[in-house]
Amino acid sequence: MTKYVVRRISQAIPVLIGITIVVYLILALAPGGPTARFAQNPRMTNEAKEAFKKAWGLDQPWPIQYCRWMGICNPNASNVAVADGFLLDHIPHPGSFVGPTGWPNFLPNFISGSSNGVLHGDFGFSIATGEHVVTRIGRAAVPTLILAGFALVIWITIAILIGVFAAIKRYSFFDQAATVFAYVGFAMPTFWLGIMLIFAFSGPGLGILPAGGITETRLFPAFGTDAYWAAFGRNPIGALLDIGKHLILPVFTLVVVNIAGDSRFVRASMLEALNQDYVRTAKAKGLPGRVVTFKHALRNAMLPVLTNIGLEIPFLFTGAIVTETIFSWPGMGNLTIQATRDFDYPVLMGVLLIAATVTVLANLLADVAYAFVDPRIKY
Amino acid sequence: MAEELRVAAETTVADLDRRAEEAGADYEVGLESLSQWQLAWRKFRKHRLALVGSVILGSFVVVALIGPIIAPFEFLNVPEPDQIVYAGRGPSLAHPFGETGGLQRDVLTLVINGARTSLFIGFSSMAIGVFIGTIVGSIAGYVGGFVDNLLMRVVDVMLSLPILFVILVFARFFGNGRGSPLLIVVIFGVFSWMGISRLVRSLFLSIREREFVEAAKAVGVRDRRIIFRHILPNAFSPIVVSASLIVAANIIGEAFISFLGFGVDPTSPTWGNILSSALTFIPVGNWWWPFFPGLAIILVVLAVNFIGDGLRDALDPRSRA
Repeated sequence: MTKYVVRRISQAIPVLIGITIVVYLILALAPGGPTARFAQNPRMTNEAKEAFKKAWGLDQPWPIQYCRWMGICNPNASNVAVADGFLLDHIPHPGSFVGPTGWPNFLPNFISGSSNGVLHGDFGFSIATGEHVVTRIGRAAVPTLILAGFALVIWITIAILIGVFAAIKRYSFFDQAATVFAYVGFAMPTFWLGIMLIFAFSGPGLGILPAGGITETRLFPAFGTDAYWAAFGRNPIGALLDIGKHLILPVFTLVVVNIAGDSRFVRASMLEALNQDYVRTAKAKGLPGRVVTFKHALRNAMLPVLTNIGLEIPFLFTGAIVTETIFSWPGMGNLTIQATRDFDYPVLMGVLLIAATVTVLANLLADVAYAFVDPRIKY
Repeated sequence: MAEELRVAAETTVADLDRRAEEAGADYEVGLESLSQWQLAWRKFRKHRLALVGSVILGSFVVVALIGPIIAPFEFLNVPEPDQIVYAGRGPSLAHPFGETGGLQRDVLTLVINGARTSLFIGFSSMAIGVFIGTIVGSIAGYVGGFVDNLLMRVVDVMLSLPILFVILVFARFFGNGRGSPLLIVVIFGVFSWMGISRLVRSLFLSIREREFVEAAKAVGVRDRRIIFRHILPNAFSPIVVSASLIVAANIIGEAFISFLGFGVDPTSPTWGNILSSALTFIPVGNWWWPFFPGLAIILVVLAVNFIGDGLRDALDPRSRA
């Protein structure tokens, strides 16, 4: 078991490193580059652009830029590249790996004395707002966690119920209806469902639910600001009800679209469990059907489902991108779209990196949890 | 009377003869045995949903090919409003899918023209993805060792990234909302090969060890021929099935990207960018504007999924018709 966990972690590390390289390359090699936003500025001369690049270290070859962005290299080291050779120009000087205190630069701040780069939690500044990327992402993460958390819990519960009953009453009317629902839900674009729901419930017809946002802007200050939390403190029940009202449509959208796949998965897993020998044995022993179904079959059928839930955790951070856009929910999805609109490289890199890291960790967790829960698996 | 009886007897005998002949013929066909494709087609025909899907998809393809030619309105022909109605008008006889708000365009015309680009993007990007994925997977599975390890780690990395984000960013960088359909095809194609390559690799790993490959190697068949003549045909059916899933995913993905305004230039309509302008008309209640393009997406994706299911059953040699 320990050996398996260690091996699994050692597999994840190269993937994590690969992710940082790919994320850096995607955005560093994109057309225009960081000076693209000066293209419309008539007062920005070429010299000024060069000076800007030099000031931010963007004139360096990309391996050195990457090394600094990661926080492995010390950007204040005097010698940048190894030598004047054509190739060696691109490799960071050994001296630049050392932090101000003489310890390797990538170690935490209190040892190495440096605070630059991703490894020290520094993702740079947002080009659009000038804030720390971490601050912006942190602010956007709260609404996304609220929305995706609610949706995830609800849809997994419903999917398990539907899947289990469809499997128990196989080929019944309920099973067939669930199948049709799953097919349609699978084919339905999230954003289309969202639009139609807005038409139905916030259009001129009914107009009973808000069309978007997380709070009523006439009653509360912008979500996440200090003023909002002050207002929240004055009237917590009203504020929660307000958020709840805004949650209904986006959560419903996410639930409908995501139940489809998961309920099929649960059904398949449950059917497999019901066909196992130990279920037949339990029935042959004369145990009541309910006990067999819910104790013998269900508990075993839940193992793959648990893994599947683990794989859906990254959804808490990224999955609601579509829904958030439709309902202008101020979360990670919206932040990504905004950053894409503004060519806000640092924010995009931060979002991509965090999302990919969470995915890798969730996969790791799911694998380890599965090995832990299922004693039949020997590694 | 007797004459009649005789004729009747003769016909019965003739009938019996013919039946025997037919049975014999049948038997001979059985001996010849159906080819793999005939068998697959027989099983596919029995899959009712797959047939329904084929009909739906087929009619969409027909609409995409000849629809814009025979439609009553041309896409580039923006009507002179006979009456200034900002809100657009609901379905009527002249405009069965209604008219959009603003420019009052015929929604049916938009949907028909959108079919062309949306289907083109869905299928061509799938082709690119399958092509890259098959090559990468074949190399990894056949060569093995370090190359396999490296390629699969690359796949791991790509799969960990939220691909829709990455596609969005690329569409923004290279297309900037004025991208041609071809550009979107390439972007989607370049980011939809990972699943296929994993699948192909695993198929190669298992097929590589089978006796017929060993036999081919023993008689000195070259690597290239083994890959293309012996292994790939055996890996064909799972590839086709997951290719159908890619088509569905890419049609929805393209619609989303275009919906956000980062996808295809509005002068080449897709179901996504038709939907995109509808959002501003929510307050005036033009439900028909986003409804019909969305319905088209759902129908096509459903059809593709049905066909995929049918193919899975039909191409699986273990299932019998």
